[in-house]
Amino acid sequence: MFKLIKLSLILTLAIAAPSVVASQYAIGTNASKAEIAGWDIDIRPDGQGLPVGSGSVADGEILYEEKCASCHGVFGEGEGRWPVLAGGMDTLTEDRPEKTVGSYWPYVSTLWDYIHRAMPFLQPQSLDDDEVYALTAYVLYLNELVEEEFVLSDNNFAVVALPNQGAFQDDPRPDTNNVRCMKNCRDPESVKVIQDSTALGVTPVDHLKPEGSVQADEPLLGEETYIAACGLCHDAGIAGAPSVTDKAVWSKRIEQGLGVLYDHAVNGYQGTDGVMPAKGGNASLEDKAVKAAVDHMVDLVNQ
Amino acid sequence: MSEKSIDTIQMRRTFLKGAAAIGAGSLLSAEQLYAQSAAKNLPPAVPEWMQRVGRGVVTEPYGKPSIHEQNVVRRTVPWLTASPISSISFSPLHALKGIITPSSLHFERYHSGIPDINPDQHRLMVHGLCENPLIFSMDDLMRFPSVSEIRFIECPANGGMEWRGAQMEALQFTHGMLSCSEWTGVRLSTLLAEVGVKPKAKWLLAEGADGAAMARSIPIEKALDDVIVAYAQNGEMIRPEQGYPVRLVIPGWEGNTSIKWLRRLELGDQPWHMREETSKYTDLMPDGSSRRFTWVQEANSVVTSLCPEKPLKQKGYHELEGIAWSGRGKIKQVDITLDGGVTWRAAKLKGQVLDKALSRFSFDWNWDGSPALIQSRAIDETGYVQPTLGQLRKVRGVNSVYHKNSIHTWQLLASGEVRNVQID
Repeated sequence: MFKLIKLSLILTLAIAAPSVVASQYAIGTNASKAEIAGWDIDIRPDGQGLPVGSGSVADGEILYEEKCASCHGVFGEGEGRWPVLAGGMDTLTEDRPEKTVGSYWPYVSTLWDYIHRAMPFLQPQSLDDDEVYALTAYVLYLNELVEEEFVLSDNNFAVVALPNQGAFQDDPRPDTNNVRCMKNCRDPESVKVIQDSTALGVTPVDHLKPEGSVQADEPLLGEETYIAACGLCHDAGIAGAPSVTDKAVWSKRIEQGLGVLYDHAVNGYQGTDGVMPAKGGNASLEDKAVKAAVDHMVDLVNQ
Repeated sequence: MSEKSIDTIQMRRTFLKGAAAIGAGSLLSAEQLYAQSAAKNLPPAVPEWMQRVGRGVVTEPYGKPSIHEQNVVRRTVPWLTASPISSISFSPLHALKGIITPSSLHFERYHSGIPDINPDQHRLMVHGLCENPLIFSMDDLMRFPSVSEIRFIECPANGGMEWRGAQMEALQFTHGMLSCSEWTGVRLSTLLAEVGVKPKAKWLLAEGADGAAMARSIPIEKALDDVIVAYAQNGEMIRPEQGYPVRLVIPGWEGNTSIKWLRRLELGDQPWHMREETSKYTDLMPDGSSRRFTWVQEANSVVTSLCPEKPLKQKGYHELEGIAWSGRGKIKQVDITLDGGVTWRAAKLKGQVLDKALSRFSFDWNWDGSPALIQSRAIDETGYVQPTLGQLRKVRGVNSVYHKNSIHTWQLLASGEVRNVQID
């Protein structure tokens, strides 16, 4: 009996050894070939996954101008901050490297795969296979990697190599070796601040500034905004707007606190005796200008 | 412009000059008005909210923070990306406590926006080099035995705007591509056992069901280690922003490998070299070569109790607090310097210190009003010591974009203001 158990254990191990033990829970349904084929969209550098098909540079140009150029630029130069696709050759060691398909990407398969899975940005997976071949060919052409007459297909896919393929290496980190020093770790004289972020002024930090400080920065902002956007109604009290000369009406409003006044001025307010449109109907005003105008109005009331 | 409003302004200017000449006068500033209204609620007055009843149950069936916390939100830096559909937002680390990021404040990163997925019509397919390719519904996935683990997720571009110099005037923007949640789901190794991985399978492709069909190659060793196929976050179903109804959580690795809206896993014998592991998320070195598959988020830390968003308001006791984390395991030690790195002192770790999670450190301090250059330095259980920026730049230059985990410097001014600076 003992021997039998031992033998069956050995047999079980022998059977299980090639793969992790399968189907312990028997949960899930078998995936059919058709189901897998519909979802299996990935393409590898060795061409695995590529469908039969082809597309020319010429066809790609027409498609590119229709579907791609508005973001990526007519020459692949990139509009605004949208990705640059072409150029940048030999810039990778420069101060401002330009990483494009031609200058940086290692594999053509990635280009085919990405156009197919994710492009055009607003209509992903809308291109048929030949269109993807054509667009891939055209982006290669924009990078001067193929000739104008080139036709890309599943047969000749492997002949196009991207120039930067050999420049990638696997992660060598950790690549620093700091030590846990506790005392006299550096010369105090050597500690110098080399850059202060406030000098650049590129961070969106208006939300951090105290509300009362707006006028200090721009002393006339409130007055100017008031004249341009608020005075038409609030000078005399038109359309249910409380006039800045009416202390009684304003005192109740001021009691609610500045936060409420700011909120109503910026976001609008529907009251029983009138309507305050958001920012007085001037949507282009910055919040801080509207708040400064509110401060100004409160000051006018208190005069 | 009406004549009246011109008159009003001229009067006001005249008045202001007069007020300045005679001193304070009777004009109440916005700040004075605010102080007046606050006094109604401070001792000895009875606060107004004690003199009435409040809102009843289920006024907010889901619930939301106090209206006085409206500034504690995710924020973005609009110029960073071409469109908010493919962009990033930052967690407000300065306002958070403990080690869990509220789900509503978890940083966001989308490559093609947030899909709205019907969970009843969502499927996870596992196929490729396996014995038995399977399709799982959400009900299927939730039948498997589950695990719940607290893990951080960090974008490898966190801090990446600062390789060339201090640029961001806020902790939220210097370190906020970082969040930490309790994730619940089925271990990926359980699902892989269910399909029967063939010995030739060395890699796993994970793919999302978003418009980018975001995809990454994962080596089989990691796939069989600690990865979670997660459907819940902090006790509830994962938020749409975080991959509803199901995502990968790959502990300690760069956030984009934790594929959201997970729909497909394919076993293969080679990596796929997807766009997001070639064109992006590779690290360019000064010699023009590039590093690929730079997965791990190395040990990092930052002081959070004092930062540009949180200037010191008075001298005296201050608990200098912050967070530390490592993609290689647990945090072992955090040290603090107040003089830009000449002298360091050990901080305490407090609360739970977990594997590949945020850990909180604390340092008792009496601020005497002097300016200071404050840094924290994390050491993880592998003995790795968080590097200086100079050490990183020496090896990697300034164009590698990702994985900037260097010691961070806050400059405390005598006024109590805090600036983001770099020191030589």
